[in-house]
Amino acid sequence: MPRLMGIKDQPTVNGKILTPLEGHGVKVMSMGFLVEEDTPMIWRGPMVISALTQMLREVAWGDLDVLVVDMPPGTGDAQLTMSQNVPLAGAVIVSTPQDIALIDARKGLNMFRKVDVPILGIIENMSTFICPKCGERSEIFGHGGARDEAEKVGVPFLGEVPLHMDIRKNSDGGTPIAASDPDGPHAKVYAEIAQSIINSLDGAGFEGVAPSITFE
Amino acid sequence: MTETNPNDTPKDIRVSKERGIMRLFYHDGSEGELSSEYLRISSPSAEVKGHGPGQEVPQVGKRNVLITNIEPVGRYAIRIIFSDGHDTGIFNWPYLKQLIDEKETRWSTYLQDLNSKGLSRD
Repeated sequence: MPRLMGIKDQPTVNGKILTPLEGHGVKVMSMGFLVEEDTPMIWRGPMVISALTQMLREVAWGDLDVLVVDMPPGTGDAQLTMSQNVPLAGAVIVSTPQDIALIDARKGLNMFRKVDVPILGIIENMSTFICPKCGERSEIFGHGGARDEAEKVGVPFLGEVPLHMDIRKNSDGGTPIAASDPDGPHAKVYAEIAQSIINSLDGAGFEGVAPSITFE
Repeated sequence: MTETNPNDTPKDIRVSKERGIMRLFYHDGSEGELSSEYLRISSPSAEVKGHGPGQEVPQVGKRNVLITNIEPVGRYAIRIIFSDGHDTGIFNWPYLKQLIDEKETRWSTYLQDLNSKGLSRD
């Protein structure tokens, strides 16, 4: 996350509460701020849970429009903690279009369904490679797999992010394409995906979903 | 766990003053009443159900167990903390609905089961 957002500072601590850093106008908190880039987090479940809880509850987020939590793939401790400790507004599944990746995406999706987390949709990543020399389209991971999957399971298909050098370069360089080339075709893809997620969140009527609990 | 039906999500959950009754009110106007003892012996926790069919642990002497606290679990369930210290049961909306709908049969099965094993609610 620090690399992607081009943030090199370390968060300040106020008592127990961390102050989030800011990159490209977005507040960010990541384990990446707290350890060296090449240090692996060799953690068992309980450590993961405590770090996740800390990122959610012990960070001075202030008023946010949306809090996006980037999760590792899987249906383990981290995902279960998120769905139990936080009343999530929804989950977005990101997958490459190849069958092997879609199998796992489907499992993630079904897990969120079991814990009543609304599925906001599926995004197809690394969708198509367009050769910069000859302009030929190569569908390296296949194409349309995530769209078909979304249709099959009845959730919105949010869009396709192409496999393109500019996206990769800018992400590695800390200048994500949505910020560095906001009018370009790639940024448009991201903007459209973001907009359709916002639309479904606005329509979710999230308030009042949870029952009130009263001790008389 | 089963897929949930939005109608299974209660609107209000109320625990009586003496903490022995939980009342659930639903969006469609229906409601149900569950005693703390019935909830306690029906806890979906592995401590009660075991880790597979046939591994159920008989729950005895729970007549006076009360509800100490309720914590929301995500969007799909509540965790009930009982006065005997049991706190690992996560009751999701469909299960609570099932406990209401099948109250009579489940309760008489429980009593018969206790009886046949020579165990007691006290």
